[in-house]
Amino acid sequence: MSKVVGIDLGTTNSLVAYVKNGVPVVIRDGSGDALVPSVVSLDEDGTIIVGREAQRRLLSAPSRAVYSVKRFMGQGVEDVTAYADQLPFGIVGDPGGVLRISVAGREFTPPEISAFVLRELKRRAEEHFREQGEFDFEVDRAVITVPAYFNDAQRTATRDAGRLAGLEVLRIINEPTAASLAYGMASRDRGTIAVYDFGGGTFDVSILKVEDGVFQVLSTNGDTRLGGDDIDALLTAEVRREIGGAALDDSNDQLIQAVRKAAIQAKWDLSDEEETELRLEPMPGAPAGHLRRMTRADFERMILPLVERTLEPCRQALADAELGPGDIEEVVLVGGSTRIPLVRRLVHELFGRPPHSELNPDEVVALGAAVQADILVSGRREMLLLDVTPLSLGIETMGGVMSKIILRNSTIPASGREMFTSYADNQTAVDVHVLQGERELVSDCRSLARFRLRGIPPMPAGMPRIEVQFQIDANGILSVSAKELRTSVEQTIEVKPSYGLTDEEVERMLIESFEHAETDIEARLLIEARNEAETVIHATEKSIRRPDFDRVAAEALEPGEPERIAQALSEATHALEGSDRGRILQTTEALNKATRHLAEVVMNRSVREALAGKNVRDV
Amino acid sequence: MTPDPIPVRSVSMLECRNCGAGAPFDEHFCQQCSRILALGRHGDYFSFMGLPRRLGVDLRELERRFRDLSRQFHPDFFYNAPPAERLASLERSSYLNDAYRTLKNPSARIEHLLALEGLPPATSDEGGVKVPPALLEEVFALNEELDEIRELRVSGGDAGALRARLDAARAPIERKRDEHERRIKELGDRWDDEAGVGTGERPATLAALREQLLEQRYIDNLLATIDRESAGLGAP
Repeated sequence: MSKVVGIDLGTTNSLVAYVKNGVPVVIRDGSGDALVPSVVSLDEDGTIIVGREAQRRLLSAPSRAVYSVKRFMGQGVEDVTAYADQLPFGIVGDPGGVLRISVAGREFTPPEISAFVLRELKRRAEEHFREQGEFDFEVDRAVITVPAYFNDAQRTATRDAGRLAGLEVLRIINEPTAASLAYGMASRDRGTIAVYDFGGGTFDVSILKVEDGVFQVLSTNGDTRLGGDDIDALLTAEVRREIGGAALDDSNDQLIQAVRKAAIQAKWDLSDEEETELRLEPMPGAPAGHLRRMTRADFERMILPLVERTLEPCRQALADAELGPGDIEEVVLVGGSTRIPLVRRLVHELFGRPPHSELNPDEVVALGAAVQADILVSGRREMLLLDVTPLSLGIETMGGVMSKIILRNSTIPASGREMFTSYADNQTAVDVHVLQGERELVSDCRSLARFRLRGIPPMPAGMPRIEVQFQIDANGILSVSAKELRTSVEQTIEVKPSYGLTDEEVERMLIESFEHAETDIEARLLIEARNEAETVIHATEKSIRRPDFDRVAAEALEPGEPERIAQALSEATHALEGSDRGRILQTTEALNKATRHLAEVVMNRSVREALAGKNVRDV
Repeated sequence: MTPDPIPVRSVSMLECRNCGAGAPFDEHFCQQCSRILALGRHGDYFSFMGLPRRLGVDLRELERRFRDLSRQFHPDFFYNAPPAERLASLERSSYLNDAYRTLKNPSARIEHLLALEGLPPATSDEGGVKVPPALLEEVFALNEELDEIRELRVSGGDAGALRARLDAARAPIERKRDEHERRIKELGDRWDDEAGVGTGERPATLAALREQLLEQRYIDNLLATIDRESAGLGAP
């Protein structure tokens, strides 16, 4: 049986988890790292690189990398102009349609970039299952999480990304709800919970009632454009202003990325320390090393307005659940940004109780997604998640006013009906504009889709009774069907998503990705070979540069051995400059062999040195 | 002459699309093959949730039924089922969510009962603009007061004093609302008690209930207007 997984497709990092013997676990790489940075980098030859390596390249080749793509899912260019300024990649496309990301001379839609990240997670999981000795290690189905406050277009884009990555998306679930599932595994079986989820790019709050294993969301609220990213951007802009000169040039991607990295490091440091130093790697146009000292108080003063923006959604969610802060029995923190002490303090103050953070805030969402995936395929019924739709759904009516059909915070699945008629004799088609949002005016709401009801039987104006049914499924995704009630004629509906891809477009991208699959595998193998080569070369160089190397060589190595090692090292280094995988593997293996004796000698000497002057009892 | 026997199928029957067996309208699963039944055109939230058609609802019981039925219908548990059953699960879950949301809320519950009993909704457009006669006096007084407050606000009157006046204007309206709440509760109890007694009083009780609900909605709008005025004065 092929495998199912739960995936947290995050703005900054992504993770994959699965349920092993009834317990959810995240899948880690060889070095124990569970986080796959959601960064995609394009190599000179078009090779796609994802994760840590791509993150490294963000510094060395910033113009070839894409990060925080989640913020662009289901968006139009007009939505992101303000945010796009500091980014090393370009945003193109016509207003009112799907935007595209322009990087290294190519263009991708956000779901395509996300699909690269998902493929990497799929690969990581498959490797894990293969190592576990599973016979069928293929991962072809997944539950993917999204921010609770994601609208229909953003959810659909996420589902498209899954399809493009070769995954059947079993379910899209909300991140705070997933987190509550993971917490619910171990904790109390009833109560009222608030989940405060402050991630890399989005903020969500959900209020849940848990009883008899049913996790019922009462209300949700949030901001899909507020996250740790904004804190980083604020800090980066501030530091750039302080440096001045070359740092103010928006096209100086390399410097901006170096400043951004330093700013992020400072942010992390200040979660544990009261004070830190901002340091910059040496580069032209900027002072190297020490930039400035920053205290936690400085930091908190800067970010306070951003963090305060999370409080109003919390109050609104409480009001929608018809609860006061005192009714909340548990507060759960999710997302990397909840490590910031100021965030914890404000949440504590708002709800009047210390928040929970027993589970790793980076991993808890993926764990919950794995639990939900397991529920879906196993049919276990002891737990059930009942989520809500975050935004009201409606249609455009006369005068550009939005008429609501399904209200926000309705438990999903949810359906609603609306009657339409014709306004001219023998009219056979009616146009419908579907919207999502809370505002009165159409122009203030999100346009989801436009469609045309066709095939209405010719009748005098006002006679047809066309019933349109809007169905929001358990993923929070809308589908529409229509019927003329007098004649029972089913209407054909062509839905044109405003900010989404059509099925045909997804199909086409899927075919293209299959065509690239061959080269992608090649590319991956090449990267692995390179990584291996770099490790061996690095270790060899370290040994040779030991201050006592000459003495070691004279005492312990055979005549001609140092020369053989130098020769092998130079050949391997040379091979690494090209992209001939066979040659890289061969020279790396040769270097490995040539240095085996040296490695033993060095190891023995270190052990002797460590033991020198100690007696057996101390060892 | 006796008429030909016409095969009668009660309209309150569902047909199992799996085994073809008939099922009572309020069943969720086929009694013969135990598959989930397509929803059909239901329309009665009370009977769907297995509750009597009464306005007095035990909220804990309602919630328990909602959870129980969710556990039976939810699409999570039909992931591997044939398409027809997946659709039935989606329809029943959506309908259940609607039913629970409606019955949980007292005025939505009355509204649903009005529809079931064939009365027009208490949100009717004719009543929307016209002031209910029973509220004429209050509405007249309030409008005068609001006009004055607006004028004073424009000419820079003290916000604190204006707020106090708004609060004073709110008091009689809130008393009226409490009165309606009590009255609605009484009428609801009476409607429940009249069940089975066979009196001809029930339609009158329901009509009175509708009247009260209409007025209560009007009062809620008045209170919302006062809130907006109050917000216009800025934070205290």
